[in-house]
Amino acid sequence: MNHSIKRTMAIFQKDYKDFTKNLYVSSMVFLPLFMAAIYGRMGVQSIEMVFMIFNLTLTVIAAFTQSALIAEEKEKNTLRGLMLSPAGTGEILIGKSLVSFLISAIILLLSAVLIEYRPGNTLLIAAGLFVSILFYLGVGTLLGLITRSVMEASVAILPVLLFFSFSSFAMQLSAEYPILKAAEYLPNTQLVNLGHAVQSGAGFADGLPALLIITGWTIGISALVVVVYHKKMVDN
Amino acid sequence: MIKIINAEKSSHHSVIFPSFSMEVQTHEAAAIHSSLNVRTVLMDLLSGSASLSGGRIEVCGHSILSDLKNDNTHLSFLFLDEALYERLTLKEHILFWKKLFISSVNSDEILRRVQLEHLKKKRISTLTFSEKKRMHFARILLENKSVVILEEPDQNVDLETRRVIKKLMEGLKKEGKSILLLTGNMESALFMTDCIHRLDEKGLHQLDVKLEEDEPGEVKEETEETPLYQPVKIEKIPAKVNEKIILFNPPEIDFVESSDGQSNLSVQGEVYPCIFTLNDLEKRLVPFGFFRCHRSYIVNLQKVREIITWTRNSYSLVLEGSESISIPLSKSKMAELKEMLGLK
Repeated sequence: MNHSIKRTMAIFQKDYKDFTKNLYVSSMVFLPLFMAAIYGRMGVQSIEMVFMIFNLTLTVIAAFTQSALIAEEKEKNTLRGLMLSPAGTGEILIGKSLVSFLISAIILLLSAVLIEYRPGNTLLIAAGLFVSILFYLGVGTLLGLITRSVMEASVAILPVLLFFSFSSFAMQLSAEYPILKAAEYLPNTQLVNLGHAVQSGAGFADGLPALLIITGWTIGISALVVVVYHKKMVDN
Repeated sequence: MIKIINAEKSSHHSVIFPSFSMEVQTHEAAAIHSSLNVRTVLMDLLSGSASLSGGRIEVCGHSILSDLKNDNTHLSFLFLDEALYERLTLKEHILFWKKLFISSVNSDEILRRVQLEHLKKKRISTLTFSEKKRMHFARILLENKSVVILEEPDQNVDLETRRVIKKLMEGLKKEGKSILLLTGNMESALFMTDCIHRLDEKGLHQLDVKLEEDEPGEVKEETEETPLYQPVKIEKIPAKVNEKIILFNPPEIDFVESSDGQSNLSVQGEVYPCIFTLNDLEKRLVPFGFFRCHRSYIVNLQKVREIITWTRNSYSLVLEGSESISIPLSKSKMAELKEMLGLK
């Protein structure tokens, strides 16, 4: 096995073991599952509701877990050890994202099952969710890099959580306030749009613009993460 | 090996250290004794997070920055404030490092060498400070690099850990590594290495530790002189503090340490610079039960609680009351001390 992959896997395994023993972070996974179960039992099937749960899962699990993992490395002063190790920037960032990625994917799947959401085009929705997870991991990493401790990260995540969970509702008000039209291009709104498109039986070509916009956001945030990471590395 | 060539550093209009050169060959351990500020700057320079104002540092023939960027860097570091993943068990942590550094060293063997084998199923968070320090040494062993940089490796650790660290350092030297130790504690530098430099804003001075070997001759002269000591002239030992002169009763003094030709009296944890040289003080203090236990130390034997034998050739004296204070005792003086105590 390639050395680079070996190191990435080492960081992944370490984080996985660390995560399972970290109740503060790992207990968060039950929040979206709980909500999905309740809404599922209530028989709520509107696309907005389903995707609100998805967006909540993405912020709470992908973004929060990731920011907590990164912030903890900084708080406990273990990040420098990683940086001085032969592992490069990419290996550290990917290794540290793998755990949050896997957990997010599993929780999204479970939420979808619990809320009894059966999309017409599973592949398209899966692709949309995949790119979205990457975007939220980027947000989480960024927050983790900017904040200094897990405490700070968990406070900083709150506005992010509110913003990305509920800003898709802003669209409904956009007729009254044209400025809110801008919200249409947010990744979370695009994900909801993708859901609507799939629900109305759209094919891959119709979902493509939404996917591309989310991918654009993901690439943007990844670039930002790399820049901030290098800046912080020089600072320390 | 690591080579520092004409390195100098200044920041914010003040000189941190002027140009100096030194090198540490393979199989060698050297210490740089310096203030906290200089030490922090040096660690930053060596780990590549700061750059020199002039000169360069070479590691195995390459500049240190290019070596650090290289996947197969020759350097491994032990920072003073390093941390571990508290939730992992020791075994898990070692395995993580092993994979991260792509190391082929046996992990059980490593744990045995740092004497943590019996704790391998325990979580890191249950370890004491000293045990964590040994854990960091496990990492150094796993990394298996040819140049090892240590920052205050034995600060605040217990005696057992000190013994383990000393042993590990001997082992590393035997394996052909170069060890550079940065410390603010002269006793630690003397204990861990045999080549000590002092670095401050005036430059680098090598301390003449080798002279210790020639000392028996010198000692004889001095012991012959002691009978010549005249009936008490002044019993008190003067020390200067902010233009004031304080007089100490000899029994109050715990020990006297000399650094850069300046002798410092240590009284109940406080340090007072003394006007006399160490040799003068020795003459004055020997009648009061003091003992020249090292080239740069005189100790009040009444205050010595314990004599620790680290290896066959290295000893320390632990003083009463303050567990943390230990003073080096050189090999040649050990015999003399034993005689005085009637052990032989």
